[in-house]
Amino acid sequence: MSHIEARILTKKEVAQDIFKLSLFCPEIASTVIPGQFVHIECGKDKKFILRRPFSVHRQINEDVFEILFQVVGKGTKSLAEVEVDSCLDIIGPLGNGFKIPDDCKNVLLVAGGIGVAPLVFLAEKLFLSKISFNVLIGCANCQKVVRFPLKDEMTGKIYFSTDDGSLGSKGNAADLLLNHLRKNEKPDRIFACGPEPMLKAVTSIATRNGISCFLSLEERMACGIGACLSCVCKTKSGNKRVCVDGPVFNAFDILWE
Amino acid sequence: MEPSLSVDIAGIKMKNPVMTASGTFGSGVEYSDFVDLSKLGAIVTKGVTLNERLGNPTPRIYETPCGMLNSIGLQNKGVEAFIREDLKFLEKFDVPVIVNIAGSTIEEYTRVAERLSEESMVKGLELNISCPNVKDGGLAFGASVKSAVKVTSAVRKTTRLPLIVKLSPNVGNIVDIAKGVEDVGADAVSLINTLIGMAIDINSFEPQLANVFGGLSGPAVKPIAVAMVWQVSQAVDIPVIGMGGIINAEDALEFFLVGAKAIAVGTANFIYPEATIKIINGLREFLKKSDFKNISDIINKVKV
Repeated sequence: MSHIEARILTKKEVAQDIFKLSLFCPEIASTVIPGQFVHIECGKDKKFILRRPFSVHRQINEDVFEILFQVVGKGTKSLAEVEVDSCLDIIGPLGNGFKIPDDCKNVLLVAGGIGVAPLVFLAEKLFLSKISFNVLIGCANCQKVVRFPLKDEMTGKIYFSTDDGSLGSKGNAADLLLNHLRKNEKPDRIFACGPEPMLKAVTSIATRNGISCFLSLEERMACGIGACLSCVCKTKSGNKRVCVDGPVFNAFDILWE
Repeated sequence: MEPSLSVDIAGIKMKNPVMTASGTFGSGVEYSDFVDLSKLGAIVTKGVTLNERLGNPTPRIYETPCGMLNSIGLQNKGVEAFIREDLKFLEKFDVPVIVNIAGSTIEEYTRVAERLSEESMVKGLELNISCPNVKDGGLAFGASVKSAVKVTSAVRKTTRLPLIVKLSPNVGNIVDIAKGVEDVGADAVSLINTLIGMAIDINSFEPQLANVFGGLSGPAVKPIAVAMVWQVSQAVDIPVIGMGGIINAEDALEFFLVGAKAIAVGTANFIYPEATIKIINGLREFLKKSDFKNISDIINKVKV
């Protein structure tokens, strides 16, 4: 875990209000695993005092990683305004990532909106580990869809759904998942990331179908290193901190409020 | 020659006057990757209660202009687990440990104080009197002189450890509370705790915190804290520990100038995990640059 300055190499608005930053930071890029996150100071003028957590979107090489984020509030708006070649104050990599068991052969990735961010990194790792996978992405509309950068040789298929039906099937990620499970072979494990209602729905579908399921959770955080106890979630074994005990949890351990 | 930063607060000898504010530093475990804990003046741990507390529902924090609201709800594993795990971890560091204690009844405070007094690792107790008193309609112990005095004197009778009372700014006159607890045997006061605040989500019409109210901290509260430290330090003879929005050494210096003998760093730990160490170094640099030999040379030297 490092606390360092990372230089912004590129910035791109890849969909409506969704930005991708690539950061030069060997300390993080060389050690990060899928599902881990970085804690970034977003307002250089110190107006926003707390850092914002972002999962790592892609590991480009040993020196460079990317984050993908949606502008939802003041902090992310300020981050979207940073200039290429300037530096960001970052702590990371933080948290526990996605675990891929050795006997896992067929995986399903389910993303809701910006929840796609950590799943791209995971997909790339699955490909390198020769584990087959498919991807289900639910978005509000076609303007919010982030291209899932699968290389041609990757075997996985990507299915989209949008709330307004402007791309793929009409409906949300949970509808897409139900539909997919009806027509396809049961996966060994589901990995999901997205808003809480979607994660609840995915958990209940996974439970009914007896599929192992792991979720990347999101919660407001202050320190990101386990001290402030802001980001707790209730689990079968008591309160857990999303930042250090997660952000990836076994879906069946979560006690939803 | 290097200027001296060492201070003695109510018999607790510290290498420097920089402490951690309760609740912002865990028990130090989480920060040990970033900070050499032995370099701190003292560690003030997160509030400890008699039994485990699960805390409040989430969201527990919300960022506000130059500050944050929190309502963690004293989540902690209880005094026995604290002694077994956290105190045990801190054994390997050469730093005084001050345990912040909290309770819903006077009896809970005294039982926690008694238990901690048996532990040689504990060098002092900080009394969090901002907790609601369940036997007094949920009114905070620290809200009136009468109840602040009552809980302080009860704890005083159960422990010989240095007793620091952490004062709430959510009162009519903080000076009266400070004098009241001094009279019944507090060895020091620390201030300010967070200010009660509230924020609303204008899209959902709901409060931003699940607990509705939270405590405001961060740079936004610093001028209030400086004013209160000044008022209290003029009125009491016991040492005053200043805190409230300290981010850097310059902020800390303001508190010393208005009479604080030590300071505590809180919210800043969340943003810059090494904040305490940077402040210690910054203080040393300031003293050197200005030819002061001792931190005591600047305490209470504000020209008013």
